[in-house]
Amino acid sequence: MSWFLRIFQRNNLYSELAEEMRLHLEERTEQLMREGMSPKEAGQAARRAFGNRTLIEEHSREVWQWPTLESIWADIRYALRQLRKSPGFTFTVILSLTLGLGANTTIFTFMNAFLFRPPSVRDSGHLVEVMERNPKASGLEAYMPLSYPGYALLRDHNQTLSGFAAFDGDPRTVSWSHDGQGQMVFGQLVSSNFFSVLEVEPALGRFFQPDEERGGHGAPTVVISHSFWQREFAGDRAAIGHALVLNGSSYTIIGVAPSSFTGILIGSQPDFWTTLAMTPTLIHDPDRLGSDTSFWLFGVGRLKPGVRKNEAQADLTVLARSAHSSDPKAAVMDASLFPVQLVPAPFRGYVVAFTGLLMAAVGLVLLIACANAANLVLARAITRRRELAVRSALGAGRFRIVRQALTESLLLSMMGGVGGLAIAWWSIPLLLSLKPASIPVSFEVPLDWRVFSFALAAAFFTGILFGVVPALRATRRDLLPALKDERQLAGPRRSRLRSSIVVAQITVCLVLLISAGLCVQSLLNARSIDPGFSTRDIAVAQLDPGSLGYTETQDREFYRQLLERVRALPGVSSASLSDDLPLSTSRTVHGINIDGIAPPAGLDSIHVQIAYVAPDYFRTMGIPVLDGHEFSPQDIHPGSTAVIINQAMAQHYWPGRNPIGQRFKDEKQVEEIVGVVKTGKYRSLSEDPLDFMYLPLGAQSQEYLVVHTAAEQSALDEIRRVILSLDPNVVPVEMESIAQYMALPLFAAHTTGVLLAVFGAIALLLATIGLSGVVSYSVSQRTNEIGVRMALGADRLDVLKLILRQGMRLTAIGILCGLALSFAATRVLADLLYGIKPADPLTFAVVSLFLAAVAFVSCYFPAHRAASIDPMQSLRAE
Amino acid sequence: MPMTNSTPRDLFPGALEMMILESLRRQPAHGYALVQHIQQRSNNLLQVEEGSLYPALQRLLKARLVKAEWGISLTNRRVRTYQITAAGLQHLEKEISSFERMFEGIALVLNPAKTPVQ
Repeated sequence: MSWFLRIFQRNNLYSELAEEMRLHLEERTEQLMREGMSPKEAGQAARRAFGNRTLIEEHSREVWQWPTLESIWADIRYALRQLRKSPGFTFTVILSLTLGLGANTTIFTFMNAFLFRPPSVRDSGHLVEVMERNPKASGLEAYMPLSYPGYALLRDHNQTLSGFAAFDGDPRTVSWSHDGQGQMVFGQLVSSNFFSVLEVEPALGRFFQPDEERGGHGAPTVVISHSFWQREFAGDRAAIGHALVLNGSSYTIIGVAPSSFTGILIGSQPDFWTTLAMTPTLIHDPDRLGSDTSFWLFGVGRLKPGVRKNEAQADLTVLARSAHSSDPKAAVMDASLFPVQLVPAPFRGYVVAFTGLLMAAVGLVLLIACANAANLVLARAITRRRELAVRSALGAGRFRIVRQALTESLLLSMMGGVGGLAIAWWSIPLLLSLKPASIPVSFEVPLDWRVFSFALAAAFFTGILFGVVPALRATRRDLLPALKDERQLAGPRRSRLRSSIVVAQITVCLVLLISAGLCVQSLLNARSIDPGFSTRDIAVAQLDPGSLGYTETQDREFYRQLLERVRALPGVSSASLSDDLPLSTSRTVHGINIDGIAPPAGLDSIHVQIAYVAPDYFRTMGIPVLDGHEFSPQDIHPGSTAVIINQAMAQHYWPGRNPIGQRFKDEKQVEEIVGVVKTGKYRSLSEDPLDFMYLPLGAQSQEYLVVHTAAEQSALDEIRRVILSLDPNVVPVEMESIAQYMALPLFAAHTTGVLLAVFGAIALLLATIGLSGVVSYSVSQRTNEIGVRMALGADRLDVLKLILRQGMRLTAIGILCGLALSFAATRVLADLLYGIKPADPLTFAVVSLFLAAVAFVSCYFPAHRAASIDPMQSLRAE
Repeated sequence: MPMTNSTPRDLFPGALEMMILESLRRQPAHGYALVQHIQQRSNNLLQVEEGSLYPALQRLLKARLVKAEWGISLTNRRVRTYQITAAGLQHLEKEISSFERMFEGIALVLNPAKTPVQ
């Protein structure tokens, strides 16, 4: 390994070379002296003839070097030395870049977690996700999961997949009874070939037999997740064979999934998996497996070797169409295939839009940070002009100096990149904690190699972006004035560049602040939307005693006692039950027929969303009854025909008439309207008024208990105690105040608002640093001029005005550009904004004034410093 | 690295190395002696400058076409004497023959009259 030895011998080589050249000079000098020169003349002549010794030595050394590698290392060491010499500059640049790159890395980490990271299964490139698609519908509505019979048909008759599995898309909250009490765990129903199609190997024990679920009669077995195994069994191998009592039935643990496998759907990290055959026992829905109108399964297939995705799509579409051909009323469904990803394909658009908006915002923050860094580097280049001039005079080429300057900016940006990774690492748990605890999903947001590559690439381009212009600038100049240390080198060109960078910074900052301002206001508007029910003084508990195997009679008795005891609690003014709350994630729709009103085209009935409620529901929820009355206890019986509708529905179908006493045909019977209540929000806060009807609550096992009480939090504890006293095995699926419940519908808006506010604040901080930096620098350059002005009679106020005028002129230009750009940019936000126009004049005006005020303050300090210049001092310094 | 101040010195790439090798073939020499030797042999037409000589010597050393050794010169100075190696000799032969062919070609183009047409 001669190159290896050379590295170590190199110093030797170099000193030999230096010695050799010294001797050469000596010999020449002696020769010249022999020819009659004085020793001094001879020495000078010899050196003149020899040329630039350092340069020759350097060129000779280069012969031995890997020119790039070694000189890059030399550049890095030199840059580090230079950076250490000006810690203030270094700190400010790294801080700016860390903030900018940190924001970008954080958002990218989320993007990666949702969009780029493949599921952790082998060879996921050959897996396809299968959904049904209604060719007549568009958008998200067109895509549907599969029904179990639909899945079974595709599984058994396809020609193109080597295996076809399915899993339930909803995480199931399940009560695990052990040691005399219940614990809430998450489960997922999967086809028995789920693990074998995904080619996942068990960490312990075995997985399901491939045909264990066929015919709907399988053994009650579960596979538990690695984390559940560690958490609950402390990693004990004896867990295999152990029985778990889940929702009232016993299941045997047969295997443990590997730690890397948490399912293939983002947000759901099941504690256990069981086969679809267990659907009736686990979720108490006996009809679901056989129903071809319940669409609830995500299909995932593995392509046979050599089969392309579109071939499989054609194959499955033929099958899917044949499934419905017997029923002329059913819509024709195609099969639609997507690459398997953690976010199912039809929903990716929303995730892309959401994260894309945030990415754009942090991109702007990074631009501002770059501008800051560029400005600081430019300012520093001026103070370093002598050093650069000396280097050029000593023979450094332009390329060499540019490369040295770029090395320095890359070094800075890389440090910023590392800082950015640290910020991401620190802020991601913080951001995840914004997620309301009541959302039954958990996200894995890893800092993996994609995040590292992104941080590296972003830092690299940032370094080039802010480094290249100052680097080129630094070398384009005459050496002489720099060597002579002329003060006025900072010509108008240079300050014009720096000024335009500041203007750009203020422009971008304003765009970001206006967008953030709009989003935050939209969030506040959304918060103040009247959902149609009271958002305070209500405690909510979601219960499922049916999961313990209660019969209908036991159910009814349980709830009767529960309501009785809860109503007796101190501070409780009313309590009621409902099978669904407005703005929850589920919805049930009934088809009704009203005399004289034709159903919408293509349908044989009018679809209306419904909820089952108990007496006192409207009083408890604070929903005003406008006409008629609430359900009375007499309305609650099988075959009851009483129905309550909302005002929107009343105006829609019985305009100008008294709706009370009107009848219409529901799915099974004729209903009679007994009351009309105020229209609220049912699906989302931003929806237009929807028709809605309430039916009397019969025996349903899974219900919401709603309690109106003056003290929500203490009431929650009391209610929990009451529930446990009735049956210690009943686990409330959720216990929360109505305010906590409302966190879910407001989640997206809330997160966006918080993030944009944070990014806006960072942008403002960076722009302020940039502006005050430029103004301070110009003050330091103009010390002389200010001294002269003061000596000639200008007072402090004149100087103050002079400097402020300069700063505020830049600000004004920046704000004007920013306003123009904002008009264009905020249009993109139109869809996301609630209750505010993208070009809201008040927001534009207030944010501009605010930015101007902050800019004024940041210019004031350097201006004040300028005004306190002692003219005698500054002139004497000359 | 552009050698901006050395452009007029080199005749063409490799010429200096060739002359160094040729000089060393006649007898081993140190840097200073090489400068003198080439200058004299070319009747002062070629002036080798140290700025080119030392990097060229380093290149030859690296390619193992010459080897260097510290010793004492005839004038009793401590010098680093360069000596051509077997590989150097081989390289020189090749270079000279290719140079001669090139030179012949150039001469033909520049002086068509002297072409041996007959």
